[in-house]
Amino acid sequence: MNLQEEILSNIDGRTLNYCFSCGMCTGGCPSARVTDSIYNPRKILHRAALEGRLEEDIWLCTNCYTCQERCPTKTKVADLISLMRRIYVKEKGIPGFIKPLIENLGACGFTARIGDLENKRRERMGLPSVKQNQEVRRIIEKTGGGL
Amino acid sequence: MREYAYFIGCTIPFRESNYDLSTRKVMEKLDIGLLDMPDAGCCGLYYELVNEMTHLALAARVISMAEELKRDLLVLCSGCNGSLYRVNKKLKENPELKDRVNEVLSEVDREFKGTVEVKHVIRVLWEDVGIKEIKKHVSNPINIKAAAHYGCHFLRPSDEMDFDDPREPISLDRLIEVTGAESIDYFEKSLCCGGYVLAADQKAAYMMTGTKLRNVKKAGADIIVTACPFCHVMYDANQKAVEAELEESFGIPVLHYPQLLGLAMGFDLKEMGLEQNRVRFNPQMFNNKKEDE
Repeated sequence: MNLQEEILSNIDGRTLNYCFSCGMCTGGCPSARVTDSIYNPRKILHRAALEGRLEEDIWLCTNCYTCQERCPTKTKVADLISLMRRIYVKEKGIPGFIKPLIENLGACGFTARIGDLENKRRERMGLPSVKQNQEVRRIIEKTGGGL
Repeated sequence: MREYAYFIGCTIPFRESNYDLSTRKVMEKLDIGLLDMPDAGCCGLYYELVNEMTHLALAARVISMAEELKRDLLVLCSGCNGSLYRVNKKLKENPELKDRVNEVLSEVDREFKGTVEVKHVIRVLWEDVGIKEIKKHVSNPINIKAAAHYGCHFLRPSDEMDFDDPREPISLDRLIEVTGAESIDYFEKSLCCGGYVLAADQKAAYMMTGTKLRNVKKAGADIIVTACPFCHVMYDANQKAVEAELEESFGIPVLHYPQLLGLAMGFDLKEMGLEQNRVRFNPQMFNNKKEDE
């Protein structure tokens, strides 16, 4: 499947057709502002719709949903970026900066290594311990989540 | 007694246990029971960017644990809230998808039924408890100027989250005011903390964090009040790093909302875990009697 087909096969993805490139998403985007518009959701959507291409810039979305709130055509901009990230992972694998989180999830069921040290601190605070689990690992394995 | 299944996620036990501590004390005072889920682990949030079925199944797993306890799920983290609230809604509305998720969950002998609600702690305080009830427990009004930081994932996407006014929210402001503090207005109140891109681009993240710290300082705030452990990490634990990156100084203390409420209820600084907040503050600012003794 090419990118456009993948996007249009998803219920949120189909809203890409609503976009007329007005740029409201980018005007309010905090990431666009601090990256001199290297991150530019208007361009990312335009590129996906017309050229069927994905680039690394999709990883700069803060997932704050300001774009989606402000979009006059109700294009699900932030959900589209998340969808494109999943398509990226399918094609190119999990980016290096996400891998440690996945490894931690597989090892203990949390995104960070939480164990004796944290539980000792919690005990001193009078808080109950948290437990590591293997269920998260089994779900990741069962769903092909990259472990 | 009203009771909730209580979910703390990953960031809180890893580095923000004082959010957990202060929430428990405040809820006890309000006669609300919290049922622990010690082996709950992660809400699955990051899998939204990696694999849809993994995300749905991890979130549904946590919700199914609350279903077993027959209680609505109270969530402290806005990120967890966004993940769990939306997945709960999606699976309730889509039986075919629910069946597919349950096929995965059968691997760990669990089932998502769709019998509970997911509620962020601010939503519980605002909707289920209410300002009037909270006010009865305020014995030590805190006379400071506070900047409310709503963050992203308990208001947006608003067509799904269905809580407060996404453009002009009032819940956290009113909850701040009931403690005696003034909730001040400031520029770009709805701006994101930047936490989500910290791993991908630290500089971009710190510039966002710094923008808000600057706006809050300009408006004359004494403290920032957060409703999410990761927003708190960005503004409090990372404030020094942000100052170094931007060559600017802020020095704004950052409190988890239940810490502020607890102080107003008469708990002391230690009971609210305030010694673990990184940015230094003058204890006098909280008019905290027990500390003065």
